[in-house]
Amino acid sequence: MNDRLRRIGGIIDADVRIRFRRMSTLVMFLLMTAAAYKWVPNPRLGTALLEINGQRCLYNSAAIGMATASLSTLFVGLFGYYVISNAIARDARSRCGFVIASTTMRSTDYLAGKFAGNVLFLFTFTAAFMISSMAMVLVRGEAALEPITFAKQYALIVPPTIVLISAIAILFESIPFLSGRFGDVVFFFLWMFLLGFTASALDKKLFPVTIIGAFDVSGFGYVLDQMRATLHTSTMSIGASTFDPKKPVFVFQGLHWDWRWLIPRTISLLLPLPILGMARVAFHRFDPVRVKQSASRHGVNLWSRLNRLFAFLTRPLIRLATMLIARGGKPSIVRSAIADSLLTISATPLIGVAIIGVSFAPLSVVFVAMAIAIADVASRESRAGTTALVCSTPLIKQHFVLWKMLSSLTIASLFLVMPLVRGAGIAAIAGGLFVCAAATFLGLTTKNPKTFTVLFLSFWYLALNDKGATPWLDFAGFNHAATTTTIATYATLALALGWFSGVTPGKST
Amino acid sequence: MGIAVYRRMLAVESLSKRFKSGNYGVRDLSLQLNGGVLGLLGPNGAGKTTLMQMIATITKPTSGRILYRDVDLSKDPDFLRRRLGYLPQDFGVYENLSAREFLGYFAALKGVKASRVGEMLEAVNLHHVADRAVGGFSGGMKQRLGIAQALINDPDVVIVDEPTAGLDPEERVRFRNLLSDIGAGKLVILSTHIVSDIESIATQIAIMKHGSLVALATPEELLQRTDGAVWEIVMSSEAFEKTRGSLVVSNAVRKSEGVHVRVIANEAPSMDARIAEPRLEDAFLYMMNMGVAA
Repeated sequence: MNDRLRRIGGIIDADVRIRFRRMSTLVMFLLMTAAAYKWVPNPRLGTALLEINGQRCLYNSAAIGMATASLSTLFVGLFGYYVISNAIARDARSRCGFVIASTTMRSTDYLAGKFAGNVLFLFTFTAAFMISSMAMVLVRGEAALEPITFAKQYALIVPPTIVLISAIAILFESIPFLSGRFGDVVFFFLWMFLLGFTASALDKKLFPVTIIGAFDVSGFGYVLDQMRATLHTSTMSIGASTFDPKKPVFVFQGLHWDWRWLIPRTISLLLPLPILGMARVAFHRFDPVRVKQSASRHGVNLWSRLNRLFAFLTRPLIRLATMLIARGGKPSIVRSAIADSLLTISATPLIGVAIIGVSFAPLSVVFVAMAIAIADVASRESRAGTTALVCSTPLIKQHFVLWKMLSSLTIASLFLVMPLVRGAGIAAIAGGLFVCAAATFLGLTTKNPKTFTVLFLSFWYLALNDKGATPWLDFAGFNHAATTTTIATYATLALALGWFSGVTPGKST
Repeated sequence: MGIAVYRRMLAVESLSKRFKSGNYGVRDLSLQLNGGVLGLLGPNGAGKTTLMQMIATITKPTSGRILYRDVDLSKDPDFLRRRLGYLPQDFGVYENLSAREFLGYFAALKGVKASRVGEMLEAVNLHHVADRAVGGFSGGMKQRLGIAQALINDPDVVIVDEPTAGLDPEERVRFRNLLSDIGAGKLVILSTHIVSDIESIATQIAIMKHGSLVALATPEELLQRTDGAVWEIVMSSEAFEKTRGSLVVSNAVRKSEGVHVRVIANEAPSMDARIAEPRLEDAFLYMMNMGVAA
């Protein structure tokens, strides 16, 4: 076998084995199976997978295939990135990357192997979801299962998303300032932009199909175009949507190949090539001067430079606060929590700047800044390997969850002071409590800030775009739609998450 | 077929590595090596790792050059990479893989036949746990797996960076013996800040300080250079506490008659000081404190 291919194969093989042996992979497979069941609800209970103008679709292979493929492109695109965006970082962390750099392995081959590993992993996930969704055709029993028609819907929609996300993950991992939390946030907004912009630009006919369709990686534009052509509509609801049972059921025949879309779909499949080219240029080949840990130590990292630039603002306040809390006396969990929150701000002075900077911003912006600031508070010890060290100090081991929760709350309070003064209601307090509890729970159980960051941003985006139409989504009251029940629900959820954090086996203590 | 004759196996010429902060990791360092085990000694931050990373072609020098068998590695890094085994400091493993899979991965990356995996597992005595996940291995077992991946391509040059850090005494001895065995016919560069790690296996010792080479010599030569500069004094605890700041103390043992202190000094530190037989640790301290650049 060609030597280069064998090396690329070796990387793919190792990546697949490492990922598929993780417990989190199994959990995700189970969740996706459950999602397939949930997203194809029993129409007798009043909701259906696909609804157009009050009519529900017949549950045939084409309809379930198209709708679940659209859902999978949305979720594989978003969550898939966060799952796969550690392939290069893992080699850097374990220092196996140094060994790889000292071999004759070409950087192009290495990145190609990592890219192919990402693609294979996401394809496997999507295939698992597709098979679970296929099973739902049999479960609901409204039409015969046609596997080829079903798979065709996935083949027409999903591949560009998978290859693009796989390539973006490699690019972001190759650029030091995008390889961390900042990159996670940037990706979220980039993906949301790609999803929304292409579909709406096509809908409004801002550009010809050939141009805008090339960036329609999610396939939503393509789906809408086909719906317009076959069902004469450009609005539809996918997911568990309510319908009018008096209206007749419509039959969706499935997506068909449309030659107008040949060039755009081909281009969207080839988009990863220039992205991988950029990744090749930016790739550090594990040069310790260029990889992130080293870079931040030597001051070339943009994030650390900005933090250092603003350190003069926060340093005096931190010193003063430290003096106030370090006056001796009996050990106290509150004092320890304040010390931990001061550590967070000392380590990232930009948080201090953000607290001041967003004080007059809309509440929704305050919540994003706050969530990003507290995202890694709960998982910091397990990632830095200092859990045993901090647990040797008084009260921490037995009150670890409370300590982390209070630490997050201290930072959240600083963010919320001005909005509360400006009139933000009790919903903001309940929302703050809920966000802190969620950050603590997810940080302790997953031992990383990524899960919380992506789940929060997704939820926040949903709530923001809902514009108050659904009161229960207005978790912090920034749409002025939160009811007393909403507030009570999020406060209760916060308490429940706090309790779960203390009993789940993944907690740091 | 002709036989290539090289002036030296590895030559480092006026090598420097300057970071963006302006600090030097390595500064104007030159040395020539011809096989055997080179023990690279120096305190933390001396530049040992940076030097090794440059030789391993992981990071580029700011100035100077490295020649392997007269080939400039900045122009043809693959010339050494094909013959190199490297074990970095704090080497981690992919916890979900078995030892066999882990080595199989590196065999693929290095373009080595898969049959070498079994041989290497036997060589490092991990064949009986070959199919166990490496996440459950002890520190010593992981290090042995690390050296196995470094040796899987049968390299001519082996670079191991602080391989004994964190190992228990038994594992350290085992690891030392393993390195000694593989040293024959190869160039092994082994960095450490623990003198006893290289005492019995190094054919040459390089001592680094602040990025520069302080000494490059055989252990015997280093001991010779230190001859007459090691003193033993017995003093009271009070006297020891008063004077310890002004002395270069190699060792101090508290006994009933007082503190037995080994002092490094060019002249007798006190009237009752007795000259002592130098050890390698004394030589290291002598070079660090009183040695001249190599």
